Amino acid sequence: MAAQPKTLPADQPSYLEGGGILGWLTTIDHKRVAVMYLVSALFFMALGGFEAMAIRVQLWRPDNHALSAATYNAFFTMHGTTMIFLVVMPLLLGFFGNFLIPLQIGARDVAFPRLNAASFWLALVAGILLHLGWIRGGLPDAGWFGYANLTERYFTPGLAIDWWVIGLLVSGASTVLTGLNFLTTIIAMRAPGMTYMRMPMFMWSLMVTSILILIAFPALTIGLIFLLFDRFFGTHFYVASAGATPILWQHLFWLFGHPEVYIMALPAFGIISEVIPTFSRKPLFGYPMMAYSICLIAFLSYGVWGHHMFATGMGPVADSAFAITSMLIAIPTGVKIFSWIATVWGGSLRMTTAFYFALGMLIEFTVGGLSGIMHASAPIDLQQTDSYFVVAHFHYVLFGGVMFTIMSAFYYWWPKITGRMLDERLGKWHFWLTVVGFNLTFFPMHFLGMWGMPRRTYTYGADMGWMRLNQLETIGAFILGIAFLFFYFNLFKSVASREQAPADPWDGRSLEWSTPSPPPAYNFATIPQIRGRDAWWILKYGHAGSRGVAAYMSGQAPSQPQPSQPASVEDIHMPAPSIFPLVLSLGVGMMGLGLIIDWYRIILIGAAVAVLSIVGMGFEYADFGEESHDPEHAPSSGGVDVRKIGMWSFIGSECVFFASLISTFIVYKSRSVSGPGPQILNIPLTSFSTFILLMSSLLMVLALAATQRGDKRWERIWLGGVIAFGLIFLGGQVYEFTSFYHEGMGLTTNLFSQSFFVLVGFHGAHVAIGVLWLSVLLAAAMTGKLGQSRALSVELAGLYWHFVDVVWIIIFTLVYLMQAVPGA
Amino acid sequence: MSDIADTQGGQIHHPGAATYLTIAAFLVVLTAMEVTVFYVHALHPVLVPLLMVLAAAKFALVAMFYMHLKYDRWLLTGVFIFPLIIATLLLVSLILLFAYLSNHMAPIG
Amino acid sequence: MIGRGSNRYSIATIVMQIAIALAITGCSATDHPMTTLSPKSDLAQWIQSLYIDVTVWDAIILAIVVCAFILAVFVFSSRVGEAAPASTASSDLGLEIAWTLGPTLVLVMISVPTVRTIFRSQPAVAPAGALEIKVAAHQWWWEFDYPDGAKTGNELHIPANRPIRLLLASADIIHSFWVPQLGGKRDVVPGQINELTFVATVPGMYPGQCAEFCGLSHANMRFRVFVDSPDDFAKWDRAQLAGPAAIPATDLLALNGANVFANSPCTTCHMIQGISKGYIGPDLTHFGSRTTLAAGVLKNTPENVAKWIVNPQGTKPGANMPALLLPGPKMNALVAYLEGLK
Repeated sequence: MAAQPKTLPADQPSYLEGGGILGWLTTIDHKRVAVMYLVSALFFMALGGFEAMAIRVQLWRPDNHALSAATYNAFFTMHGTTMIFLVVMPLLLGFFGNFLIPLQIGARDVAFPRLNAASFWLALVAGILLHLGWIRGGLPDAGWFGYANLTERYFTPGLAIDWWVIGLLVSGASTVLTGLNFLTTIIAMRAPGMTYMRMPMFMWSLMVTSILILIAFPALTIGLIFLLFDRFFGTHFYVASAGATPILWQHLFWLFGHPEVYIMALPAFGIISEVIPTFSRKPLFGYPMMAYSICLIAFLSYGVWGHHMFATGMGPVADSAFAITSMLIAIPTGVKIFSWIATVWGGSLRMTTAFYFALGMLIEFTVGGLSGIMHASAPIDLQQTDSYFVVAHFHYVLFGGVMFTIMSAFYYWWPKITGRMLDERLGKWHFWLTVVGFNLTFFPMHFLGMWGMPRRTYTYGADMGWMRLNQLETIGAFILGIAFLFFYFNLFKSVASREQAPADPWDGRSLEWSTPSPPPAYNFATIPQIRGRDAWWILKYGHAGSRGVAAYMSGQAPSQPQPSQPASVEDIHMPAPSIFPLVLSLGVGMMGLGLIIDWYRIILIGAAVAVLSIVGMGFEYADFGEESHDPEHAPSSGGVDVRKIGMWSFIGSECVFFASLISTFIVYKSRSVSGPGPQILNIPLTSFSTFILLMSSLLMVLALAATQRGDKRWERIWLGGVIAFGLIFLGGQVYEFTSFYHEGMGLTTNLFSQSFFVLVGFHGAHVAIGVLWLSVLLAAAMTGKLGQSRALSVELAGLYWHFVDVVWIIIFTLVYLMQAVPGA
Repeated sequence: MSDIADTQGGQIHHPGAATYLTIAAFLVVLTAMEVTVFYVHALHPVLVPLLMVLAAAKFALVAMFYMHLKYDRWLLTGVFIFPLIIATLLLVSLILLFAYLSNHMAPIG
Repeated sequence: MIGRGSNRYSIATIVMQIAIALAITGCSATDHPMTTLSPKSDLAQWIQSLYIDVTVWDAIILAIVVCAFILAVFVFSSRVGEAAPASTASSDLGLEIAWTLGPTLVLVMISVPTVRTIFRSQPAVAPAGALEIKVAAHQWWWEFDYPDGAKTGNELHIPANRPIRLLLASADIIHSFWVPQLGGKRDVVPGQINELTFVATVPGMYPGQCAEFCGLSHANMRFRVFVDSPDDFAKWDRAQLAGPAAIPATDLLALNGANVFANSPCTTCHMIQGISKGYIGPDLTHFGSRTTLAAGVLKNTPENVAKWIVNPQGTKPGANMPALLLPGPKMNALVAYLEGLK
């Protein structure tokens, strides 16, 4: 593996070769999936950039009419939505994350390659759904933050917001799948010897980002589901006249929205921590502190969402609490900035374009971070929020911090990904034009904000004194646009060139540089043994970093570590390609489309396609599940199957999902304007249902025990019993809902009914999915496909089933017993 | 901890049917206690804390024994417990934030 | 006015003030009437002091980072091929503790005045003698109701040096009340009464604008606050309480206009005391006394009034007001009548 061939030997075709179109559509190779993310993100980046330029043209002078109010509002909405969900996250996670996780931890693929491909296709479907408004119904126009109750159908009729809701739901599903996939991969599949404290910092950041995704996205999902119910089914989750409050949306949205900022920033921090040591020729300064600060930032980021809501009137106690937690984030962030500078300090610098962008990021991001401290102080924020000062702030963070990093990553890893270098001379042009254009566009916004210019206004009065700086910004935006043309041209030129990039052009430190450029489909012929941090550096120069550098300086070639040869490349088992991820996403897309254009047949067909392709994927895994039998597959899992780690990650994410639903119920239950309240609940019936569900859990563990000891008869009996008990529970729920309906409590009757039905209904849907899952297992058991060796399949279904059970334990207590008490 | 064995095959020896039945008995008894608490008026002053303790006990029993967290690697517990703590914090803080807000809500209707 | 910050680190504050003044050419309120840097109320003043505090700390931190950056990149490092790295140190406990504790201390310095200002600026009950005004935000205009029954649209008059308590309520969706020179924003949320309490200290006219995106014409939801001397305010208030100004018998045009108004669809939505009872749009009883129309977008001139009536959506896309096409003479009469409603 470590030999650095100038050209690829015939027996090591790169991952890019072969397969044709069908090969790409059915690929589950993490590197090909990454490249598909890249192509879609580059397209959407051009689109989002075009929207930004149009916005800047409209703001050129007061009372301008280049764009109509409607177009302007749609453009700033789509600029934000596109750049966050379809550009920055796909580039950082989908492209760089996907490509580099296995290569940096010394694995052959991610833990769930089919799921990974499904994540991509779902992300693409989401991108298309978000833009179908061009064809029908208009583009979404309520801002990327889509504040209720403006998004209610009464205030924004038409399809635009419908596209937005469905698009974001699909995008969220894709991201959560990516999160649990990445988390499982980094936990379980690190090469032998790669302890957590030996991982590249980029891996640390992606691991923590994945956790953040799992706990942040469910809040957005719930917020969107309420909005979907309001728009499609007539509920009133955000309607004040029904006793509800649109503030609920803001809490759910920012519970997702602030961690989201770090979902974008943490991977960038990780990348910078890779680029700076490489080009400073020094190990990363303060590695342990860097790792801990990533964890601390992630943890704190979940407790600061309220700083987006200081103006909404949360009261002085909440304002103070959120102000202080927001300020605390500055401490670990400061540690990172200083540690990066300390890494450069005393280094031997190689001034490449990648390094230019990384150094540029240090300064631009610091500016954004410092203005962030201002917003953390609630009273100051009351002057700055929703003004151009905030636009300046978050563009310094997201463009200056994250986009600069993405550019750095492009120049750094492009040779590894494509086998072609990017042009350094064009790159320097690209860098300087970006620096000039970026600062010219966004620095004046600080002043516009201090002079009172509000955000999201399509026009402004001539008497406000805002024109000069707006014109300066528009000029800056065009310079930035030219910089991006240099970037796109550089990519094009590189791909068109025939010149082969070396395997290790930057004298890199981490494992990906030990593979050829571009790497073969299986990444590593043999899984490397890791002896320390900067694994590849140690392989090249030995443990003492400075001695290695001295040898390098004196012109000695690095000692070539000899790879152990695999018996033959054919011995490496890679999972077979699969069409199901693509089909699954098409099914999901059809469901969304059918809902919006009100064609129920399409929804049903889409649902059937989606379910069948999930089942198909499951059987594919069972039939071709060589990954799970490969002892090299999950060396760092401590013997736990990756699927179990993935399942537990999913269950963790579901905790936040149900917590959001339950808190909404508790907040809303007694705010109904009229109609029945908790006294309607039938305690004897639900006590019986609770008993049934608890007993089904008992049968579930008995079924597992039977499978584990190879007892086929009792395996079938117990599994059938679980299914029967699940059906009894569902039957009880159907009876309960029907009798409520006859007593005059429908879904839309009042706040109590809608938050009750949505919470309990979603739990019921989980039970139904469990019944379906177990039925597939029972069918497999009947046809003799289950058995001792596949006991894990039963255990996974069991984990899900028991989780649904414990959720019910909580619901039974919080929703039924505590609320229905007479006189309570 | 002798029953955590055999990391080679990824199989962990789970407890047998006897343990499972005992846990089921506990779960039934706890549920019966919950329902009793609900119907006994004398207990209503301490209803909320009592029900919460009972629900937490049931939750813990299922998670530890039926979901095998007691026997499996601590890693899995960590992957579950962290989001669970976050979810609980979310629940508590939203309830507190809206308790303040309801003082400032316009009269309904 | 420099504020409380000057007591503790006066030199740094003054230096910062000069730097800000140099950096922002023409930061005066005349050139930038919506500036946040020219406080005209106690609330705005508190925010300003805090803002200067934080800016000073930010400037110090930025200076340290930039200096360290320049030293690291240009002084204490070599270029590849020149020499081996001067250092391969990968940790230094002392340094790491320093750059954790340093920022922590700075944050303590910032958070104490922050929390103090938060509590000070959000009193739970109205201060003694406060004037409580109900503010209703509509898509896309502002309605102001005074406790004595006076009612106005898009132009708020308040007395100087008397505590003001605004009670903010929304008629439709979320808006945000913002007059930069008088203090920070407060959102106007449906189903919720938010408060904004302050004492305006300097008489004058201060423009404001809705600061929360509220749909198509969010950019056109502007308003003005007039801080009057107590005498002027009392005079204004008395005029508002009176009915519409009587039309001089000689002003035939305006008399004709009154007729046009009374028989127009305008009466469905607009109130003129004693004449019409509409309440969907702004009260027009004293329309002629306002300086602007269409929520602060147009100056109140006869030409603009006619322009607005003929095509409201041209000025304010999405506005609920239907276009009213009147023949020239009728339009002139209507405009003359409306402008006479002092």
